Amino acid sequence: MTDPSREDAAVPAKAAGRSALLRIGLPILVGALFIGGWHLGVRLSGSELFPTPVDVFFGVIELGRKGLLLKYIVASLFRVTLGFGLAVLLGIPLGLLLGWFQTLFFAFNPMIQVLRPISPIAWIPVAILWFGVDDRAPIFLIFLASVFPITVSAMAAVQNIQPVYLRAARNFGLGRMDLFRRVIFPATLPQVLTGIRIALGVAWLVVVAAEMIAVNSGLGYLIIDARNAGKRYDLVVAGMMMIGLIGLALDLVVRQLEHFDEVRWGYSR
Amino acid sequence: MPLRKVVVLSSAGWLIAISVLHAALNLGLFRPGRTVEKTFKVGFLPVTCHLTCPVNHYIQKNLKGDGGFEPIRFNGWPELKEAFLSKYTDATFILAPMAMKLREEGIKVKIVYLGHRDGTALMVHKDSGIFRIDDLRGKKVAVPNRFSNQRLLLFKVLKERGLTFQDIELVEMPPPDMPAALYSRAVDAISSGEPFMGQTELDGYGRILYLTKDVWPGFISCVLAVRDEVIEHDRARVQALVDGIAASGVWLDQQMDNRMQAAQFVSKHYYNQDPRLLEFVLRKPPDRVKYTNLSVRRPDFLEIEQLGREAGILEGKAGFDDYADSTFVKDSATIEGYRFEDRASVLQGKEHGVIR
Repeated sequence: MTDPSREDAAVPAKAAGRSALLRIGLPILVGALFIGGWHLGVRLSGSELFPTPVDVFFGVIELGRKGLLLKYIVASLFRVTLGFGLAVLLGIPLGLLLGWFQTLFFAFNPMIQVLRPISPIAWIPVAILWFGVDDRAPIFLIFLASVFPITVSAMAAVQNIQPVYLRAARNFGLGRMDLFRRVIFPATLPQVLTGIRIALGVAWLVVVAAEMIAVNSGLGYLIIDARNAGKRYDLVVAGMMMIGLIGLALDLVVRQLEHFDEVRWGYSR
Repeated sequence: MPLRKVVVLSSAGWLIAISVLHAALNLGLFRPGRTVEKTFKVGFLPVTCHLTCPVNHYIQKNLKGDGGFEPIRFNGWPELKEAFLSKYTDATFILAPMAMKLREEGIKVKIVYLGHRDGTALMVHKDSGIFRIDDLRGKKVAVPNRFSNQRLLLFKVLKERGLTFQDIELVEMPPPDMPAALYSRAVDAISSGEPFMGQTELDGYGRILYLTKDVWPGFISCVLAVRDEVIEHDRARVQALVDGIAASGVWLDQQMDNRMQAAQFVSKHYYNQDPRLLEFVLRKPPDRVKYTNLSVRRPDFLEIEQLGREAGILEGKAGFDDYADSTFVKDSATIEGYRFEDRASVLQGKEHGVIR
């Protein structure tokens, strides 16, 4: 992956303007086509249950007026922040350790590979039995879903370090702690960050499943609640749209990290 | 700024900001007069079978300034059951055969009161060719759960026509998903608690094949269940809950205006549904669902036990005295209903033309 901002610097201003127009204009055009097709599709099929984009828009406005939209977004972001934060704090060190010490890798990797493919939905009963139905259960589910991508990417990053870095470090006589801090961690950072980006996507992805438990707030809850509310599929789709848009925003934020020098070298190699 | 500083500072700032917002908006931590005392939690689903739960809470809150317990709304049977098993909820509205099954499996729970009588229907698509029970042969029928009384009811109805479950295709589906499934004709018939059946009728694509009152009068689907240890340690609270639910039931059945008030405040504060849905199912016809005559009686449960064994969901390992405690309300005829009127709901009911 190359850094687009640096590419732009190399081309004349006119072309840069055109590429910016493309970068912003094209997605908007595709989005508009999608919404138009959706509206037309609902109209042509004559469905009375499936909402048109207009219904969804007014659904979002209604939620906003009731003050529910902000509440639900905050609740979901809070749970994802905690679950994902715990996953980062635990997953990176764990992955680095497993990647470095082969004995640990042999011991724990099969266990991780067994747990990794289990969907958070399957964990719902366990989460309720362990934590009841307050915020802890969804946080646990989000943690579970995001910890494995982080661990695995950190593990792979250590295993893929170029041997020349390690030989150089040994020649400088670095101790074990220094080796970790000054060579291994920086060398793996770009790949770890990719893992984090994937994990954040997954964490946000499972928010609906995690909030199927009887919590009484959140965007996932909004979808479940709208299903209970009779013919409110406009709110179901509104919840889906909000989750999608916030997911996009989260990804944009994490991608900002790629502009830092500590990470950028890893992408332009 | 170096990466580490940016990440640490922005994460910390974000964590604090989102936690404070969540605490303020959703947990109500900064609300004045908030009590931290452990509440008595009662689980329920947004169906009319559990209507007395929110009605009781709302009336008590208005009459005494305190609901007396905390109603916890779930969205599906599995979550409701699991929260009850994990002791998160102290009492719960639950399917009668499911409570009996839990007891058979050694979970110490007791049925202390009924939730309602009747209040279920079997709906088919209005354009379908299903007009009699016999027409269900080979058709796909959705029920909420294998331990639901809707399934037993279907079993009973089929049996009376000489049919069995082998003659139809049975699927389990959460009740909120049923109307859309019938609309898109993914299934041929659906059966669950109200208001999801009434909704298909109200929206014009569902037709009643049978109402419970016509095929199994006095049908019970949901009951109030409490764990044995809660009865032992907190009998007074269980008694208060049962008394309140009994009084709410009588209040609901006293006059149609009361039901129409309930339709307003329950839709708004507990179910988050359009009130017209509850207005419809509580009114048309008025005996679609009933909230009186709710004492726990042996013959009713022996009938359910018998059917449950025949349908293969119960083994008969637990008897009436194991899974039921009928001492909380000995005679439902002596219960006095609440004296309550909710002005805002009356006004809204008048606006909708359901209260004169």
